[in-house]
Amino acid sequence: MSQTVLIVDDHAGFRGFARRLLEAGGFDVVGEADDGASALAAVAELRPELVLLDVVLPDTDGFAVAERLAHDGARPAVVLTSSRQAADFGSRLERSPTRGFIHKDDLSSAALASLAVEAP
Amino acid sequence: MSRRLLIALAVAGAAVTGAAAVLVLLAHDFQPYGPAEKVAQVAIGGIWVAAGLIAWQRRPGNRVGPLMTAVGFGNLAPFLYWDAALPFTLATLIEWLALPVGLHLILAFPSGRLSTRFERWFIAFTYAAVLVGSLISQLFADSSTGCPDCPRNLLRVNLDAGVWKVVSILGDLVLIAILLPAVVLLVRHVRRATGLTRRALAPVLLSWAAAATCLAALLVVDALGGKTEETALLWAGDVAFAAVPVAFLVGLLRTKLHRSGVADLVVELGSLPPPAQVRDAIARTLGDDSLELGFWLPAERRYVDADGKRLEADPRAGRAVTVLEPAGERLAVLVHDPSLLEDPELVEAVGAAASLALENSRLQAELRAQLVEVRASRARIVEAGDAERRRLERDLHDGAQQRLLGIRLALQLARGHAGDEQAIADLLSEADAEVLGALEELRALARGIHPAILTEDGLAAALSGLARRTPVPVELSVCTERMSAPVEATAYFVAGEALANVVKHAHASRVTIDVTRANGNLAIEITDDGTGGADANGAGLRGLRDRVEALDGHLQVECPSSGGTRVTAAIPCA
Repeated sequence: MSQTVLIVDDHAGFRGFARRLLEAGGFDVVGEADDGASALAAVAELRPELVLLDVVLPDTDGFAVAERLAHDGARPAVVLTSSRQAADFGSRLERSPTRGFIHKDDLSSAALASLAVEAP
Repeated sequence: MSRRLLIALAVAGAAVTGAAAVLVLLAHDFQPYGPAEKVAQVAIGGIWVAAGLIAWQRRPGNRVGPLMTAVGFGNLAPFLYWDAALPFTLATLIEWLALPVGLHLILAFPSGRLSTRFERWFIAFTYAAVLVGSLISQLFADSSTGCPDCPRNLLRVNLDAGVWKVVSILGDLVLIAILLPAVVLLVRHVRRATGLTRRALAPVLLSWAAAATCLAALLVVDALGGKTEETALLWAGDVAFAAVPVAFLVGLLRTKLHRSGVADLVVELGSLPPPAQVRDAIARTLGDDSLELGFWLPAERRYVDADGKRLEADPRAGRAVTVLEPAGERLAVLVHDPSLLEDPELVEAVGAAASLALENSRLQAELRAQLVEVRASRARIVEAGDAERRRLERDLHDGAQQRLLGIRLALQLARGHAGDEQAIADLLSEADAEVLGALEELRALARGIHPAILTEDGLAAALSGLARRTPVPVELSVCTERMSAPVEATAYFVAGEALANVVKHAHASRVTIDVTRANGNLAIEITDDGTGGADANGAGLRGLRDRVEALDGHLQVECPSSGGTRVTAAIPCA
């Protein structure tokens, strides 16, 4: 059975393309959210196995959302993504409770799948 | 206070002292001490009266003079009773008044005023209690017991020893009710005293303590059965007690002595010294080290100090404020020790003497205030520029970059649909490579405007990113402490510009970047082993120097004879 994914990004265009890309790669995209608050609500409602989480969000940032998810009940696997480079976030990436980081330049089903299967 | 009253009091003081001395020498044998020591005690009373009258004459508005005079007369009174009932009765009636007068004197010293409502109530109570207590005790006291040679007490009405006992106990209780709060108030008076007051109080307390110590020692000697008539302690105590009025007088007149300093002040300020020296000279003349001098800026309606920084001139605890308006026009303000208010003429004289220098200093302070303002606004411009750069970087990231990323994903999808159409797949790949190139350029542009990592993770992380992207090997040593955003950004841009110059012109094989924090400064040093010859006045470095100086820092570019280039910057970051 394919893995369920929630896409969190404030750019609707990016979400649309990412949904199609991941679905073409065999993922089951169960929902989209455009900010941190709706992401938390969507996780509670949809219980996705995986969250593709943009770091820069209008209301908060991906690190804060990942922190909250790690302490809430559902605890989905979280993969951070951004159009900024990993180096731009310095040590915050390493400290966050996530599976990893994919630069938006490198986003593909294969890249996401390789991070998603790793043990937390 | 009229001259006539002063003369009358002086004559009375002399007469009383003379009479007391004669009486002590000729008439008395009911006192336990020898005649020589008695005359000394009379002389002390005379000294109190004389010192009090001098104080009264020199500081007419101050109660210290009258109070000291009263203490003197009070001291002389007990010597005036010769072997007659009336003077004896009167003298014993006022004998105890020395206590409230003495307390009033020391609590009101040196201003002459009692500072709190409680003090005023307490002193009023003390006067009343002692007067009433003396009267009541005179009604019941039997002078024949304890003082067999004393004259008859005219006020005596009751012979009952029991009543006298009760009255004595009540008297003791009243005495305790006076002495306990007196000690508390005294300690508080001394502790509250600041600067000038403290200096005036010190000799008084010292002489008083010496007198008290002698008295205590005397009592001990007495209790041990020693003969007090001949003891040196008695004389030492007399000397100490005679020093008390002198100490009061000196303390009181000390500020008066400062007045002779006004002439020196005129000479010193004649050369129109810089504002800070004007303050020091005035502080010296007024004898108040804590003095603050503020210059009035009429246009902005505020005071500034010698450095042009804002000075708050509101009266606050332990500070008093005097506005100097020598020619009716506000010039400056003194924030000073409240005890200076006792001598407003001195402050006024100093203000008048200093007016020319103050006017001159005010103009200088005004200039400095403008300089302070310019500096602040320069720093604000840098901060505003940084904020704008951050906004631009975010806009580039959120806008164009996101769209380009969307296009890349679309191209990926399209390639998936291209199937076997190799030509289309190749075209899509080429388009993707173009978009990727545009993204890279956009990112480099955004980073140049303001590197996001600087805000996220600080200078050390941002510089190591910068070093990674530099084609010349960079050796980095950066302190990891976070500093304010303008300081971090300035340091980053200095390093960035220096590195860019190295890459462009220096032909260097290695660069070292050293960032340390010491003595409230962030020091950045970028050294290379290239060909040197950097142009310190090139547009890039000149812009950076302006930026560094806007934060009160310095930037230096050197080309040592040993070769290479060294760019150093120091930015205050305390």
